[in-house]
Amino acid sequence: MALAEQGRRVDRDEVFLEYTKSICPVCKAVVDAEVNIRDNRVLLRKRCPEHGRFEALVYSDAELYMRQLRFNKPGTLPLELQTEVEDGCPLDCGICPEHKQHSCLGVIEVNTACNLDCPICFADSGHQPDGYSLTREQVAFMLDTFVAAEGSPEVIQFSGGEPTIHPEILGFVAMAQQRGIGRVMINTNGIRLAKDRRFVAELARLKPDIYLQFDGFERQTHMAIRGQDLRELKRRALDACASAGLEVTLVAAVERGVNEHELGEIVRFGVAHPAVRAVACQPVTHSGRHLAFDPLERLTNADVMRLICAQIPEWFVLDDFVPVPCCFPSCRSMSYMLVDGEGVIPFTRLLAVEDYLDYVANRIAPDPAVRQALETMFSSSATPGAERALLACDACGIDLPDALRNIEQHFFMLVVQDFQDAYTLNVRQLMKCCVAEITPDGRLIPFCAYNSVGYREQIREQLSGVAVEPVVPNALPLQPLLQPTRYGSRSAPATSRNGRPLPATNIGRRLER
Amino acid sequence: MRAAQTDVKSCCAAAYSSQAARYLLGDSFHPGGPALTSKLIRRLEVGADSTVVDVGSGPGTSALQLARELGCTVIGVELSPTSVAAATAAAAEAGLGERVRFLVGDAEALPLAAASMDGALCECALCTFPDKQAAADEFARVLRPGARLVLADVVAEPERLPAELRSLAAWVACLADARPASELSALMGKSGFVIKHVERHDDGLARLLKVVDWHLRAAALVAGDFLGDGVDQGRELLRAADEALRDGCLGYASILARRA
Repeated sequence: MALAEQGRRVDRDEVFLEYTKSICPVCKAVVDAEVNIRDNRVLLRKRCPEHGRFEALVYSDAELYMRQLRFNKPGTLPLELQTEVEDGCPLDCGICPEHKQHSCLGVIEVNTACNLDCPICFADSGHQPDGYSLTREQVAFMLDTFVAAEGSPEVIQFSGGEPTIHPEILGFVAMAQQRGIGRVMINTNGIRLAKDRRFVAELARLKPDIYLQFDGFERQTHMAIRGQDLRELKRRALDACASAGLEVTLVAAVERGVNEHELGEIVRFGVAHPAVRAVACQPVTHSGRHLAFDPLERLTNADVMRLICAQIPEWFVLDDFVPVPCCFPSCRSMSYMLVDGEGVIPFTRLLAVEDYLDYVANRIAPDPAVRQALETMFSSSATPGAERALLACDACGIDLPDALRNIEQHFFMLVVQDFQDAYTLNVRQLMKCCVAEITPDGRLIPFCAYNSVGYREQIREQLSGVAVEPVVPNALPLQPLLQPTRYGSRSAPATSRNGRPLPATNIGRRLER
Repeated sequence: MRAAQTDVKSCCAAAYSSQAARYLLGDSFHPGGPALTSKLIRRLEVGADSTVVDVGSGPGTSALQLARELGCTVIGVELSPTSVAAATAAAAEAGLGERVRFLVGDAEALPLAAASMDGALCECALCTFPDKQAAADEFARVLRPGARLVLADVVAEPERLPAELRSLAAWVACLADARPASELSALMGKSGFVIKHVERHDDGLARLLKVVDWHLRAAALVAGDFLGDGVDQGRELLRAADEALRDGCLGYASILARRA
């Protein structure tokens, strides 16, 4: 085979970085994949024998991506594993003996019902008659599974569906607290917080952390992401939290062409609002229901960080974001800051955080206790107040010097988190994932595997007794194959229904359901 | 800022975590940080079998860096017994107690034998020594012929500095008696050094002024009531220093010299 004309050798246009495994976004068969750098962008490429070649943008700043690799902390074994290795990653979730990390954060999706039908919802939830709603017994068992695996779990998040419309949600929060789980979070759209005073009063007693969807300030943003204008409800929900003393993390789903220009305003708003202690910015996860997207032009963490820096240049530079070392470092970056009358002082200006969280360079860490405190702060289990780890004084038993008690109120946390989808899934990241979906059959499934590989459909089918079609990303190159499912996501019926043989690949099959 | 640190220390001086709080509120800084130190000490051209003196070693950070990066034996000399004790503890904790020792001593009368050292570092310290010529003579005395000295310090043209910076002694001793780099070079020449290289690192100083300002803002949040208007005064001085830096009458410089 002649590769070039006139006998001249030609250079490839990309740097080959890594050989790994992924899945076919259409049939979910496990396939070989390679990661390359082209034009300073990190791209994952793979080929399914049945559905052809796919390529997706993983990180839009290759230089930054490479610099982040050294923030890779050795994983910690959980106390218990739930599955055996049979077919290899990502088909044995979980957690299987080959997984590299324990679960910093557990997620329990208590229902599939929601009081919204957002155009963007990785959980494919909404006003649906055929979903599930977990019982107290199921949640108790799931919490016990989590405690057995973790000993003293750091954080549990109740999600859905919309967890606040589950009739037992307050009981679930109490059950988690009774089991000694460090922090309990409710992931909510805030509608019930805005409308139901009695509910907020009950929450004020239990004091869970509120993880509030908050995508921007423009009507268009709300219409595109949530399908209705929720601005007034969000304002009321936040004011209700402030009066009730509930601490809020604003969570923005960021989609290209929709609300990426609002990131700076969201951060500024959060810093100024009395109830808000943190902002989390997440590129939209292209699982479940979402707008059509181009896998080569999707938003990545690098874009989100750059946008924040460009929109608030007086506060942030790129170096103020620190890769989180418990998970794979390119999955999540965080920044802490002190807020004063003049604006913010990023924590990285006060302490050379990266000197402590570099696990590759062969040098002596200046102070192991400081490193340990920073690991608690820059972690997937970090919730507002995580900076206490740095300020608390273990040795003398006084938990906070008086002088430092003030400072805690001035800390603010900023998180940038990219979740993987069936296009971007890379088992290298997945094997170190520390966010776990807890399932009623007693498994802890890494979040991105749950959303991409077929586990979500499997669990929903088991719990609801209704067949669930395998979800395929609503990607532009796949449009000819796609049909809407009854929940609004997309499926590729021609390949998922007709009982064709599973694609034979060199490394695996797909999740059988 | 000092006051805030003392406050924190009194809570639990032994605790690592209060150490962390101290880092947060401000630790020892010098322009350019460890990265510049690393670059400068390579110019000493010493190996593992050498002994290097760090004059004005403070908390011992650079002395430990010398030992780690060059593999040499280090003697830190410092006037403050408290700093010597802290630096000695830091060396032990870093597992470098064998190779790094600290002595209480005066830079103008070093407690070391003549021609006993293979290299010398004096970082951000010379401008605090009242008799700079005496200090330079001492460097020359303890170094063996051919050995190198790295000097890094704040430099200034005192007559061009604004009045508020000239009266700065109480705040940052460094700026108070800073001299032009040419004057320091002349001083070294008189003591028997051959000047090999002079370099400006003004960006390192500019960055440091910013870092100190961030720490002052953090200190104001922690202990604003306690510090009174100290923070505001400090920040005012930082602004003046930044202006002087931009005008070119303040800066940071390193001098590499060889003992003739």
